[in-house]
Amino acid sequence: MQTFEANDDGPLLAPIELTSRRFWIFAGALLTIGLWGAFAWWTQLRRGLSVTGLNAPVFWGLYITNFVFFIGISHAGTLISAILRLAHAEWRRSITRAAEVITVLVLFFGMGCVILDLGRPDRVLNVLRSGNFTSPLLWDVTSVACYLTASTIYLFLPLIPDIAILRDRMPSRRWLYRPLALGWTGTEKQVRRLDRAIAVMAVIVIPIAVSVHTVVSWVFAMTVQPMWHSTIFGPYFVVGAIFSGIGAIIIAMAIIRKAYHLEQYLKPIHFNNLGLLLLVMCLLWFYFTFAEFLTTYYGGEPMHMLVFLSKTEGKFSPLFWTMVVTCFVIPFVLLANRRTRTQIWGTVAASISVEIGMWLERFLIVVPSLSNPRIPLTAPSYVPSWVEWSLFAAFVSMFILLYAVFTKFFPIVSIWEIREGREHSVSEVTTRVLSYLPEAANE
Amino acid sequence: MKIARREFIGLVAGAAAGAALGAPGGRLFSDALLSANQPIYPPRGPEQFMLSVCTACPGGCGVRARRIGNRIVKVEGNPLHPVSGGRLCAKGQAAVQALYHPDRLRLPLRRTGPRGSLKSFRPATWDAAIAEIANRLQSVRDEQRPESVVLLRGGRSDTATRAARRFLQAFGSPNDIPFDRGNDAGAIALFLTQGLRAAPAPDIRGADYILSLGSDFLESSPAPVYTARAYGDFRQTHTARRGKLIYADPRLSITAASADEWIPIRPMTHATFALGVAAAIVEEGLYDREFVAERSIGFEDGPGGGLRSILLKQFSLERVAAESGITVNVILRIARELAGAHKALVLGPHNGPLLGGRVYDHVAAHVLNALIGNVDQAGGILIADDVAIEAWPADALDAVATAGHRQPRIDGVGPDSLLSGDAEQLARALTTRQPYAAEVLFILGADPLYATAAHDQFAAAMEKVPLVVDFASIPNDTSLYADWILPEPHFLETWNVQTSPASVAFASVSVASPALPKPLYDTRPAADVFLDLARRLGLQRAMPWQDSAALSRAEVDRLFEARRGAIIGTQFDAAWVRMMEGAGWWAPGYASADELWKRVSESGGWWDPFYDHGDWSRVIRTPSGRFDFRPDIVRQIADGAPAAADGGLSLLLFEPLPIAGATGAELPFLQALLDPGLDERWETWGEIHPETAAALHIRNGSWIRVASSRRAIVIRARVTDRVVTGAIAIPVGLGKAAGGRWAEGAGANPLHLLDGAREPLSSLPDFGSSRVLVSEATAPDQRPIKRS
Amino acid sequence: MARWGMVIDLDRCTACQACVVACQVENNIPVAGQSDSDRGRGISWIRLAPFNEGEHGTRPGLRLVPIPCMHCEKPPCTKVCPVKATSIGKEGIVAQVYARCIGCRYCTTACPYTVRRFNWKLPEWPDPMGEGLSPDVSVRPRGVVEKCSFCHHRLQNARDKAAIEGRALRDGDYMPACVESCPAEAMFFGDLDDPRSVVTRLEAGPRAFRLLEELGTKPKVIYLSKGESGADV
Ligand SMILES: Nc1nc2c(c(=O)[nH]1)N[C@H]1C(S)=C(S)[C@@H](COP(=O)(O)OP(=O)(O)OC[C@H]3O[C@@H](n4cnc5c(=O)[nH]c(N)nc54)[C@H](O)[C@@H]3O)O[C@H]1N2
Ligand SMILES: Nc1nc2c(c(=O)[nH]1)N[C@H]1C(S)=C(S)[C@@H](COP(=O)(O)OP(=O)(O)OC[C@H]3O[C@@H](n4cnc5c(=O)[nH]c(N)nc54)[C@H](O)[C@@H]3O)O[C@H]1N2
Ligand code: SF4
Ligand code: SF4
Ligand code: SF4
Ligand code: SF4
Ligand code: SF4
Ligand SMILES: [Mo]
Repeated sequence: MQTFEANDDGPLLAPIELTSRRFWIFAGALLTIGLWGAFAWWTQLRRGLSVTGLNAPVFWGLYITNFVFFIGISHAGTLISAILRLAHAEWRRSITRAAEVITVLVLFFGMGCVILDLGRPDRVLNVLRSGNFTSPLLWDVTSVACYLTASTIYLFLPLIPDIAILRDRMPSRRWLYRPLALGWTGTEKQVRRLDRAIAVMAVIVIPIAVSVHTVVSWVFAMTVQPMWHSTIFGPYFVVGAIFSGIGAIIIAMAIIRKAYHLEQYLKPIHFNNLGLLLLVMCLLWFYFTFAEFLTTYYGGEPMHMLVFLSKTEGKFSPLFWTMVVTCFVIPFVLLANRRTRTQIWGTVAASISVEIGMWLERFLIVVPSLSNPRIPLTAPSYVPSWVEWSLFAAFVSMFILLYAVFTKFFPIVSIWEIREGREHSVSEVTTRVLSYLPEAANE
Repeated sequence: MKIARREFIGLVAGAAAGAALGAPGGRLFSDALLSANQPIYPPRGPEQFMLSVCTACPGGCGVRARRIGNRIVKVEGNPLHPVSGGRLCAKGQAAVQALYHPDRLRLPLRRTGPRGSLKSFRPATWDAAIAEIANRLQSVRDEQRPESVVLLRGGRSDTATRAARRFLQAFGSPNDIPFDRGNDAGAIALFLTQGLRAAPAPDIRGADYILSLGSDFLESSPAPVYTARAYGDFRQTHTARRGKLIYADPRLSITAASADEWIPIRPMTHATFALGVAAAIVEEGLYDREFVAERSIGFEDGPGGGLRSILLKQFSLERVAAESGITVNVILRIARELAGAHKALVLGPHNGPLLGGRVYDHVAAHVLNALIGNVDQAGGILIADDVAIEAWPADALDAVATAGHRQPRIDGVGPDSLLSGDAEQLARALTTRQPYAAEVLFILGADPLYATAAHDQFAAAMEKVPLVVDFASIPNDTSLYADWILPEPHFLETWNVQTSPASVAFASVSVASPALPKPLYDTRPAADVFLDLARRLGLQRAMPWQDSAALSRAEVDRLFEARRGAIIGTQFDAAWVRMMEGAGWWAPGYASADELWKRVSESGGWWDPFYDHGDWSRVIRTPSGRFDFRPDIVRQIADGAPAAADGGLSLLLFEPLPIAGATGAELPFLQALLDPGLDERWETWGEIHPETAAALHIRNGSWIRVASSRRAIVIRARVTDRVVTGAIAIPVGLGKAAGGRWAEGAGANPLHLLDGAREPLSSLPDFGSSRVLVSEATAPDQRPIKRS
Repeated sequence: MARWGMVIDLDRCTACQACVVACQVENNIPVAGQSDSDRGRGISWIRLAPFNEGEHGTRPGLRLVPIPCMHCEKPPCTKVCPVKATSIGKEGIVAQVYARCIGCRYCTTACPYTVRRFNWKLPEWPDPMGEGLSPDVSVRPRGVVEKCSFCHHRLQNARDKAAIEGRALRDGDYMPACVESCPAEAMFFGDLDDPRSVVTRLEAGPRAFRLLEELGTKPKVIYLSKGESGADV
């Protein structure tokens, strides 16, 4: 049996110990965009939502689109990682952390979008003071708050052993790592407890994650508006969320791999496996989209058809068909083809395409239904204003920046889990695989 | 996008303050930082209801203004008032916005620079204004040329207009020139057939079948509220009868939208269509034989044949169908329905206070009315029973005045003219100084620069008049060319006695007293100006009153002398008066002029609900004493070739109710309502049929250039099957050179496209015959936003 | 207790829009200029919605229908409000509490009649237009949603008056501004629970229908269809 030293995982600690000038430039650029966004928000606070492109009846636009999109991305981490953990997928070890961080950070930005969208952000606490539980928006607040709490715990638990490693290696940052390590020494009891806690959280987190995006969909589906009022919306949104979430993980992994030279940890096989998952979600997404549009078309209810036609052949059709291409055609071709899927660039390209497509999908859910009210009301086309685009850019930038900052304080690939994999998994998996075989003794 | 430096500094400062103070309190946050609350100062004080009469249009609705402290916060209908019935139209509702309009004139303005721009005017005092005008008038009088003073006046029937007219009379000028386009054609048709000078008062309430030949009466009636109330009762009264409305016109107007059937006839075929229906009625023998035999001439007889033979010979159903584009079956059906209806009514074309239609069409419509025997019948065409309240002493004219009145009218209108006033000819006369030069031009309640085709001539003509005095509350296009703009008060600030318009069949008189304790600005009622001028010129014998308050009282005293009617009151009161008067009694409910004044001030008015149907000597004043079917005119219609389609599109004009009569564009509440069907607001548009648009490669919502031989305007295209092919329909009322911040720069004025053609019969301006070329255009630069 | 409702007779209505302006003046609705109007930011609590009839090529028709808030018996808007800033009262009036509304505009998207409007910016009245504001109705701050209140303040006044006169509130005690103004006398208002009221009789008539009835919102604004005889009054 081989043994491994902490130093073997040097590349995982390098980003924390060394910070290049490139990183500072990168962070500075992101921060600048963030500040620009702050200015845009200031403008909106001063002048109200009149600085957006919204109008009657298109009361919701980019902010709500981004809300749904960001919350969707949040399914990346915790849900995927929990499923993979429960499934004992061994290849997960180097990717779960990167995924979980996405979840925790992006949730803040998702909720931030709702605050941006409020006419009276100064009154946001009214939601607590006089909350109305018949409102799906309040269900949202509740489920997102649960998901945020659970995901934070779920991110934190597997971090503890790594924090302990850092505590021991980096005396200059003891002030940070010591309290966070919660006195971890790696005793067998601690390990056993941690494993149990992680397993329990993995089980808890899955239904919460599913509920979050289901509830987000219900914000729309609970109304009687054309092409919102649909029973399929819950699962449809969850599928879309996981779809865009996996894409986000792939992109994040590719960047980390390149920036921090983690080629040994994030291998093509990881991309291939995630690519396969992405392909499954792509097909599921297509199935749901097809089901949704076919029932609308076949039913032919005039109000629904107005929205349907505005998407398929009306003024939203360029966006709609771009969505079909980027959500389905491109990823399907790239991922169904072994040659491109096994290439990292192949899965990354598919993921980028999926992100664009899924953002468009969210936009096309929010805006066309509102643009075609049941009682005729003409209005200018909704064109997002500079304030809305700036805030979108700023949110994306600040998300990336915070993600980068995280990698400067914590290992983005779980050190102890990799070690555990080396130390125990090979024999464990061998035993497990043997147990599937007919030769194995029945227990 | 622009980032104000101030805001950036604000951002930095705000962030610093936030950091220093911690989270600011909610109130501070929302008030100071977000500035999300409007600091407003609601009025305080007792609530009072002040009676007045709306003058936003000639409709004469009695209103009740709600006053809190010293502010008016709402205007509502006076429930006792017989014209408004407690209701108000959109314009009347917007009166508060007009009262507190930021661009109202606050002082007299004297022109000091070139004409045509408000920038050329400087504020002046009333003393200076009156002194200058009085001096000029005095010198004219000294030169014994009183006829060189001209009054151009709109269709109001208020104290101010009567004072102005009386002033002209006393001064000695015959040039009291009405500018009341909307009523002219209908009145001329009545004159030609019934021999009396009055506008028709169609009894919509009493009818059970209406054939509207392009009468957009729900938008363009001279008394919109009165007409709407009548229409409501016509449709659904508290009995089981429901009136039916057929609308024949090239455009599906708001009235057509309310109609049971829209018959999309080709442009310029109203008369042909009407006479086709008439021919069918005659052919099938469905006409009112008794009326035709006993009360008419020209049916069987006439030089070269009577109406019957002309109709049968020249208005074959096939010809009418070919020209109007309507199938024979439809024409025949309409004829049978019309003749079979109990109380049918035919309305001649009328598209607004400026667009009264063509005399030919009105004659044809009225011939049809007479054929079905509804002249002066309930549900037919009535003649308003007016009441004389001019309280002027007789025999008060001096020698100069008497001589002046012997001069011809400067606009060439004489006692035999069909026209009551000729604005285009006036412009020519002012320019050429023929038959004589004008020294002073008063303009009251009229905007000829906006509202005539002779825009350029008028502007040039005003250069030739040494003193032009315009009365306005907010300057209009014509004001910009005046020498003095005298600020008029809003109707809620003034005394007024208003008679109901001619389209209301009963006589009514409304009395307004100021609803505010004092006017907001240094304005004066036009009546006071003329009374003051009369005093300075030594004409008090003809105009002895101190001010408009005293004059109003004197006018009401005349009502007492009339010995009829009653104080307005409940429906029960009205029924009582009607019954008593029908039986030959008069029970006034007031014993003295003082009591009348007191009670009229408390209730808002007086009226005489009694209408004496079939008083033939009153309503038919032709030499024969009979209704004249005018076979001569019908023959002219038959012989007139259909308008030559010399390329281009027929220009169809209409006036949306909120901006009808070229007023309303100055109020944002009204600009927002131009056409609910197309969701049009704040701009001028042109309605084009999809086929016509396709042929011209014009897309819905794009900008188009509409060009006539005289001028071009750029407007928005609305591709819609609300209009027939080969035509473009454009609303009148926007495109103003003046009118305050909201009117200026919004839309375009299609009247300026008109080529100045006149109808041969009456020489009224022909607003229906113009043709225009339509092509794609680029957006006018003041309109950056593209609507889907 | 009264259950207030409105009846609009589409056969009488002339599409004159007096109701629109009456409501704007009565309820202190701010002035929207050309550019706000073009951006779809104008506010009105009642408007005329166009329904085009007839297909292209055949004879077209146009129906203009005045649309205030329907004061739905089962309002989809109140359910979704996260802070109870809009709710249905005992007398069936769907009210809006401006001081609590967070401006999320969920109610505006949930209302199938699209009658709710948002204050995109601070309401403006160029001087001296603010002088004409009514003291009865609060001026809405920026960032909140508003809509037709059935002229709730008139109800409050009527209730006070009835209390002073020592009697119960009854049908006919109050009339919203739009109803009062309507020149064609096409609008009626009253207590739908009072069997003798005009609105109850009209509601029971053969011409009565509700907009988007199939959605089950149970509007208390009832329309009378066009083109049939009016034996129902
Ligand atoms: N558009 C608009 N909407 C508003 C507001 C606004 O300014 N504009 N204001 C908001 C505000 S601040 C408020 S408080 C609400 C008010 O709205 P509501 O709460 O609906 O208040 P009221 O309209 O006064 O009706 C209360 C009911 O209680 C009944 N009542 C009176 N006394 C008693 C009693 O002793 N016992 C019982 N059981 N019933 C009684 C009354 O008859 C009446 O039917 O409206 C809100 N809605
Ligand atoms: N006759 C009669 N009178 C009544 C009643 C009745 O039933 N009958 N009802 C009574 C009742 S229940 C109430 S609550 C009162 C309501 O009367 P008020 O308390 O006067 O309430 P509002 O008129 O709704 O709002 C007051 C002001 O607050 C502003 N405002 C709103 N939000 C904010 C904010 O966040 N910051 C700041 N600075 N200002 C804000 C509004 O623009 C408005 O100018 O009326 C009472 N008056
Ligand atoms: S119809 Fe004329 S007079 Fe009557 S309210 Fe309207 S604008 Fe005023
Ligand atoms: S019409 Fe709309 S706003 Fe009014 S109660 Fe119904 S759902 Fe609510
Ligand atoms: S906008 Fe205001 S009233 Fe509407 S749902 Fe949000 S908080 Fe409630
Ligand atoms: S009921 Fe009152 S608030 Fe509602 S539309 Fe009519 S006037 Fe406006
Ligand atoms: S005021 Fe009356 S007639 Fe005019 S649009 Fe409104 S409901 Fe119709
Ligand atoms: Mo209250």
